[in-house]
Amino acid sequence: MTTPLKVVAVVGNLQKPSKTRALADLIVDTLGDSEQIDATFIEIVDLLPGLAGTLDRDQVDTATADALAAVENADIVIAASPVFRGSYPGLFKHFFDLVDQYALANTPVILAATGGSDRHALVLDHALRPLFAFFQAWTAPVGIYLSAGDFDGTTILNPEVFERIEMAARDVLPVARMLADRASVPA
Amino acid sequence: MAFELGIYHFGELTPDPTTGKMMNPGVHLRHLVEQATVADQVGLDVFGVGEHHRTDFAVSSPAVVLAAMAQATNSIKLSSAVTVLSSDDPVRVFQQFSTVDLLSEGRAEIIAGRGSYTESFPLFGYDLSQYNELFAEKLDLLLKLRDENPINWEGNLRPSLVDGDVTPRPDRQIPVWIAVGGTPASVVRAAKLGLPLSLAIIGGSYQQFEPFVDLYRRAAADFGHDPKNLKVSIASPGFVDTSKQAALDTSYPYFQAGWMQNHHQRGNGVPMPRRAYEAQATTAGAFFLGGPQEIIDKTMAQYELFHHDRIMIQMGFGNVPQKDMLRAIEILGTEVAPVVRKEIESLKASEK
Repeated sequence: MTTPLKVVAVVGNLQKPSKTRALADLIVDTLGDSEQIDATFIEIVDLLPGLAGTLDRDQVDTATADALAAVENADIVIAASPVFRGSYPGLFKHFFDLVDQYALANTPVILAATGGSDRHALVLDHALRPLFAFFQAWTAPVGIYLSAGDFDGTTILNPEVFERIEMAARDVLPVARMLADRASVPA
Repeated sequence: MAFELGIYHFGELTPDPTTGKMMNPGVHLRHLVEQATVADQVGLDVFGVGEHHRTDFAVSSPAVVLAAMAQATNSIKLSSAVTVLSSDDPVRVFQQFSTVDLLSEGRAEIIAGRGSYTESFPLFGYDLSQYNELFAEKLDLLLKLRDENPINWEGNLRPSLVDGDVTPRPDRQIPVWIAVGGTPASVVRAAKLGLPLSLAIIGGSYQQFEPFVDLYRRAAADFGHDPKNLKVSIASPGFVDTSKQAALDTSYPYFQAGWMQNHHQRGNGVPMPRRAYEAQATTAGAFFLGGPQEIIDKTMAQYELFHHDRIMIQMGFGNVPQKDMLRAIEILGTEVAPVVRKEIESLKASEK
């Protein structure tokens, strides 16, 4: 029997309800269509103030400590962020500042973002991708960006978004499965 | 003019997702004629067939199909949806549609577009690099053909006409609509020429198209046309059944198969997941997908936004079986159309 893949979505929304969370939900649902997964959602807004008031990993509250551990042990990370002032919010970065430097090495990461208009689409490649390059993570070539026009509230309407997520999922799942199975073989 | 409801079809030949069997093009064409017959009987306003030039489509010459429908029907308007004018000869297009118009006693229409598929360009020897120029010039000729005979005309991409005798002459001016997908310049072209606009909204949120309709009416006014005389039609895929659940269950497998066949990235068909299809059926989604009440609600919500004159539903994309199609057409004509027409009439009356 195959072990479910541990999928952890870090969602950078600072309000609820959230378009970014809706996007993360859709990515997780799509991954779940073709693989057994255990999904965990980490919404940055839920970790306040334990995260914002802490500069050191040793001082974080239990919720933040659990969230950091979940990311570090994930088989697939979904990094989903809203665009604030042309980039991810500072608190999203602050969360990843506390993640162990090598914990994400080779971990498949799906980059996703939501913004007010298509003019921010390069946030995926100009902000998120360099962050995960630092972690030496295995970022999926296909990133997913949505602008306000792709939604009705938090319902995603643009059919092309669904296709793009399908593509990202098809690229990432075989890699994640292979890495997870390899890691589970006793040395 | 009373609000109009219609359906259109491309005659796609999608293998049946349950049996894998490809439909015979002749059977499919006869099915289309039967669909038009039922649409006519239940009082729908317009039936459209669109042109494609590929093995997996049965309709390459809409006018021929419409001519068959002309004989089988009494009052429904018969439209192309669309005519790829850029890669056709306007003289021939005019002759074919004037023939349909005469056969049908004044029920023919042309919806002209630049074409979203490109197969017809090499087939008839046209250069895709002249995509826009071809359309502009041929549209100019087609519109002149409606008014003048004999005709003198000169252009760059087609031989000139000197005292050209283009017949038969229809008893009236055949309506020419401009089909627009999402290019503001195309909207402005239709506005400039004072031609009715057929706006295709084939996915996503229809609210996003409000600026196009607004642009169309403002530009038309700037060009000296009274926007009140300019019709707007909204064209979107969909399917109608006894309930929303039934509409989704009946149509999804066929839509998904047709979508896979027609929608490629990286050389592969990309599926539309069921949840994506369901999103289109929500109040804000583009598809006319649901039971009678959902279709009525969506049409009314769109009317509040667009104040348009017509909807055309691309019904049962991907070859929904004929018995289901005929039921859908019947529901649209008997349960949706009367309510929508009445509601919009009373809205119009209250606005006066």
